[in-house]
Amino acid sequence: MASFPPRVNEKEIVRSRTIGELLAPAAPFDKKCGRENWTVAFAPDGSYFAWSQGHRTVKLVPWSQCLKNFLLHGTKNVANSNSLRLSRQNSDGQKNNPCEHTIDCGDIVWSLAFGSSVPEKQSRCVNIEWHRFRFGQDQLLLATGLSNGRIKIWDVYTGKLLLNLVDHTEVIRDLTFAPDGSLILVSASRDKTLRVWDLKDDGNMMKILRGHQNWVYSCAFSPDSSMLCSVGASKAVFLWNMDKYTMIRKLEGHHHDVVACDFSPDGALLATASYDTRVYIWDPHSGGILMEFGHLFPPPTPIFAGGANDRWVRSVSFSHDGLHIASLADDKMVRFWRIDEDCPVQVAPLSNGLCCAFSTDGSVLAAGTHDGSVYFWATPRQVASLQHLCRMSIRRVMPTQEVQKLPIPSKVLEFLLYRI
Amino acid sequence: MDGEEETYGGCEEHALTSGTMKVMLSGPGQLAENETNEVNFREIPSHMLLKVCMYFTYKVCYTKSSMEIPQFPTTPKITLKLLMPGNFLDC
Repeated sequence: MASFPPRVNEKEIVRSRTIGELLAPAAPFDKKCGRENWTVAFAPDGSYFAWSQGHRTVKLVPWSQCLKNFLLHGTKNVANSNSLRLSRQNSDGQKNNPCEHTIDCGDIVWSLAFGSSVPEKQSRCVNIEWHRFRFGQDQLLLATGLSNGRIKIWDVYTGKLLLNLVDHTEVIRDLTFAPDGSLILVSASRDKTLRVWDLKDDGNMMKILRGHQNWVYSCAFSPDSSMLCSVGASKAVFLWNMDKYTMIRKLEGHHHDVVACDFSPDGALLATASYDTRVYIWDPHSGGILMEFGHLFPPPTPIFAGGANDRWVRSVSFSHDGLHIASLADDKMVRFWRIDEDCPVQVAPLSNGLCCAFSTDGSVLAAGTHDGSVYFWATPRQVASLQHLCRMSIRRVMPTQEVQKLPIPSKVLEFLLYRI
Repeated sequence: MDGEEETYGGCEEHALTSGTMKVMLSGPGQLAENETNEVNFREIPSHMLLKVCMYFTYKVCYTKSSMEIPQFPTTPKITLKLLMPGNFLDC
C-alpha cells in the first residue's frame, strides 16, 4: 500500500530540516506507568514549550533557550542532562526570567494546554472581569488533563499548582483555552462530554456539552472564540456555538474515529484527522468539505477505512500562515501540505508519532512520540501571495455567508471561499 | 502609473513579483512598456498601487533572507479593495 499518489515519485519530495530532539530520560526503577507522550504544546506568546514525558511528569522549558541549546549543542539533547544549562531554578520564577520546571502531576497525563490572560493577536477582545480568584498581571497557565478525569492548573512561571478541577469521570483526552484571553477552558473526555470551565471564577464549571455518543478525542476553538469544534469516536465532528453553548451542526464525511481537529488562523477552514487515513478540510460555516488529504493509496474503501488499516492519522495542525498543515500518520512519516495541493510539499521520518504542534511563530513543528521524546523540524517557509494575505485578513472578520453576498467577480469569490 | 498620474518607482525585480507585469514587460513585440520601462494602470487607484509596491518590497526582501517573516500590515477595510488589484496583477 503506497503512501503517496501513483503520479508522485516519493524520492523527489523534499525532506524537512531537523532542528532538534528532546529525548525522554531513562525510566526510574520505581515508576511503573507508561511512557506515552500524548501531547505537546507551545505557550501562546512563544515563551515556553511543554510536553508530557510519561511517568506522570510534564516538562516545561523556556522555548528560546531550548532553541539556542539546539543550535549550540547540535541536534541531540537529553532532557535533564547537565549540558542543558538553563537559568537557576527558583520558585519565584518571573516572566522576564523564565525557568525550566518538571511537574509531577500524580497521574498519567493525557492532555496539555496553555492559557493566557493576554488575548492572542487579532482575537476578539472581551471585557475581562476579575472575580474572586485574582491573578497577577499577564497570567500564563498550564492545564493538564489526567487519566482519572481530574484537571490540574499550574502557574507556568512558578510551577505551582493553582487549581484542581474535578467533575469528569474518565480520561481527559484534550484541553483547549479560548484564544481571547478570557481563560475559559474546555475539556474533552472519554465520558462522552465536554465541560466548559471559567478559570477566572475559581474554576467554576459553567456548562456541560452533551451530544457525543462515544469517546470525545479532541476539541479546538475558532480564532475568534465564537465556535468550538469537537471530534470523537464513531465518526463524530460537531460544531458548537460558544456564545449560547448550543450545537450548530454535525459534519459528516469521515469513515472512522476522528481524533484531531484544528482551525486555520482566519477561522475559515477546519482540518480534521481520522483513523480512516484521511485529513479533511471543511468550511465550518457551511459544513462542506473543501479538500481531502490522503495518506494511503489507492484510497481505501469505506469498510477498510473504517477498520484497522495500519494508516491511522493521529494528529493534524494548521500553520500560522494559514497556507500549510502538518499531519502525523502511522506510516512513520510527518507530512507538510499546502492547502491548495493534494500532495505533500515536505516529509520527515518519525516512528510512533502521536501529536504535533506548530510553534507560536510558525517556524518549527514539534512532534511527540510513544516513548516520550519530542522531535523538531523547520517548517516550509514561504512569503504568502498578496491575494492570500488579503483573504486571511477578510476571512478573520467575515464568515462564509457574508462573503457570498459581496459584489465581486465569481473567480475572486471562489478564491475567498477557499474553493480553488 | 495610475489614473491619477502618480508614478511609483521600483526596480524591475520587484515588478516581476506580479505575474501580469512579468508578462507585460517580457512579452515579444513592440510594447510601449518595453521601451520606457513604465506600466500604466489607469483603473487602479494610487493608494492601492502604493500598497502593491509595498508588497513587492516585502516579498523580495523576505524571500531572499532567512529571517522570520513578519506580518504584512493591512486592515480589513483596505484588503477588500486590494483583492482586485492583487487578482489582476497575479501576485
